[in-house]
Amino acid sequence: MSESVLMRPVALRSGQGKTRPEGDRSFLAKGIIVVLGFALLATMLFSLAAGASDASVISVVSALVRGASSDGNVLSLRDSIIIWDIRLPRIILGAMIGASLAVSGAVMQGLFRNPLADPGIVGVSAGAGLGAVSVIVLGATVLAPFIATFSIFALPVAAFIGALVFTLILYGVATRRGQTSIATMLLAGIALGAMAMAYIGLLTFLADDRQLRDLTFWTLGSLAGSNWAKMAAAGPFIVLALLVSPFLGRGLNALALGEASASHLGIPVQRFKRVAIIVVAAAAGASVAVSGGIGFVGVVVPHLLRLVIGPDHRYLLPASALLGASLLLLADAVSRTIVAPSELPIGIVTAAVGAPFFLWILLRRRGIVDL
Amino acid sequence: MISLSNVSVVLGRKSIIKDANFNAQAGELTVIVGPNGSGKTTLMRALSGDLPFTGRITINGHSLGHLKPWQMAAMRAILPQSTLLSFPFTVREIVRLGLTSGRSGATHDVAENLPDEALALVDLAGFGGRFYQELSGGEQQRVQLARVLCQVWQPVLDGQPRFLFLDEPVSSLDIKHQLIIMQIARAFATRGGGVIAILHDLNLTSMYADRVVVMHEGSIDSVGTPAEVLTDDRILRVYECALKVGALPATHVPFVLPQSAVMSVRP
Repeated sequence: MSESVLMRPVALRSGQGKTRPEGDRSFLAKGIIVVLGFALLATMLFSLAAGASDASVISVVSALVRGASSDGNVLSLRDSIIIWDIRLPRIILGAMIGASLAVSGAVMQGLFRNPLADPGIVGVSAGAGLGAVSVIVLGATVLAPFIATFSIFALPVAAFIGALVFTLILYGVATRRGQTSIATMLLAGIALGAMAMAYIGLLTFLADDRQLRDLTFWTLGSLAGSNWAKMAAAGPFIVLALLVSPFLGRGLNALALGEASASHLGIPVQRFKRVAIIVVAAAAGASVAVSGGIGFVGVVVPHLLRLVIGPDHRYLLPASALLGASLLLLADAVSRTIVAPSELPIGIVTAAVGAPFFLWILLRRRGIVDL
Repeated sequence: MISLSNVSVVLGRKSIIKDANFNAQAGELTVIVGPNGSGKTTLMRALSGDLPFTGRITINGHSLGHLKPWQMAAMRAILPQSTLLSFPFTVREIVRLGLTSGRSGATHDVAENLPDEALALVDLAGFGGRFYQELSGGEQQRVQLARVLCQVWQPVLDGQPRFLFLDEPVSSLDIKHQLIIMQIARAFATRGGGVIAILHDLNLTSMYADRVVVMHEGSIDSVGTPAEVLTDDRILRVYECALKVGALPATHVPFVLPQSAVMSVRP
């Protein structure tokens, strides 16, 4: 045992060259976030121009720059309506929903210390759906006072409550003494999902024709019918969740060591978990309220990013928001064009890509951890 | 100083710790020993603020019940027995978590390099880029120690001593690294901080402890220097094992004591 090992002095190395220490991925992560930001901008412009109608990118951009006033002969009135009242709300809403699905997935995975936790898979979205479907079907009768109280916010509030209740039940069932069992969590999610589906089935049985159409769109998941009114209703929940999420990064990192160690590092764990659960419920609830069950974004996006920038939540959360938004817009572009002039519900696209990916994660983990 | 008076812990209906009293001074290495199930880890968890207890525990005069998590994080750091991760963090990212509370005591410039300094200290220089999950149990334990050291890098901050709680810090380490880790604990105490460690190895205890707390069936059996506490009759009573302190084995049997290490320095 040499002296040098035991008594290595605290060298003041700062200032001597700024090489990145090994294992520090923060620089890479920041770079990726910038790249993802530009990618999202590009995707939004591309989505604005793509669709059944053929407004070109140039005319779209100039429409955005000059406004859709009638003096310019750049855009016809028809194109201007397509851009401003159909595509733009759909794109902004789509980006917000993609971001909130990915962030709610990443927060939930950090909270449960489990990369398979996702609102769609463990029944939280089903809980949100239960709340939303109740409002759709019972809004005119039993829940009329609820609608009167919350007016345009009735749907997202109901979805938020459903998501919150289901998250709390799930946490209560799957977590004992700060340890979450993966198997218990997934099984509890199946049970909760089945419960919600039974109730949604009952409501479907009771629904009239108009409500049935709403419900079908619901179960498949779609961005069709996006408009400024829907955005006004769901937007505040999503924006709030997205704004709070960056402040969860430090706590989620500490939580990766376990609840006791997180508390020893100075995190007020119980209070922190409450905030995180509310963020998950708000993000998942609001996106389910406007777009129905769009699955697998929350599990695929954070997982891909962890492979590249690592699990540091300070970077993972904003990166997930950006990549989730871009990917959902791309999926939406696919769903709008693949069977044009008709369109496929986007939930089918994300499930077709996401479900095999989920199986791949399971396969990769099978060797590492005992499920 | 950490002070326990009349501390009892009840888990479920079972009384785990009965009426514990002792002080752990800054500048000293206090070692808790005792057989399996004697309540060492439970006592440590009560000290850490993880378990409800009756009685009174104070750190530098502040009652544990009145301290917020971030206030406690500035006064003491805790090394758990083992830590499992479910995400692929690098070693450096884990060590950096020790800076979460922001009270390492290092200046901003030095804090950036602290994870690397701490890794070098636990003999893991160059391991920063490895994945934590790929390391052996002993290496993981040393990574966690590096993290804990970052949290209270300066043993004295704002004139107040800080404390390290180490739950079996050398349990999965080879002899060289056992000595390195104990030497780090020793140095922390010498520089004015306090250390409370749970150890099973009575030889290491005798070598490094300023004060030994012997636990037996949930109670504190005795507190004193190694020479006062490690006696034949106490070992027989507490460990239910008849051992002779200081007895050498037969001449042809090789034995290796940590005390025989050639220590070039004793800080």
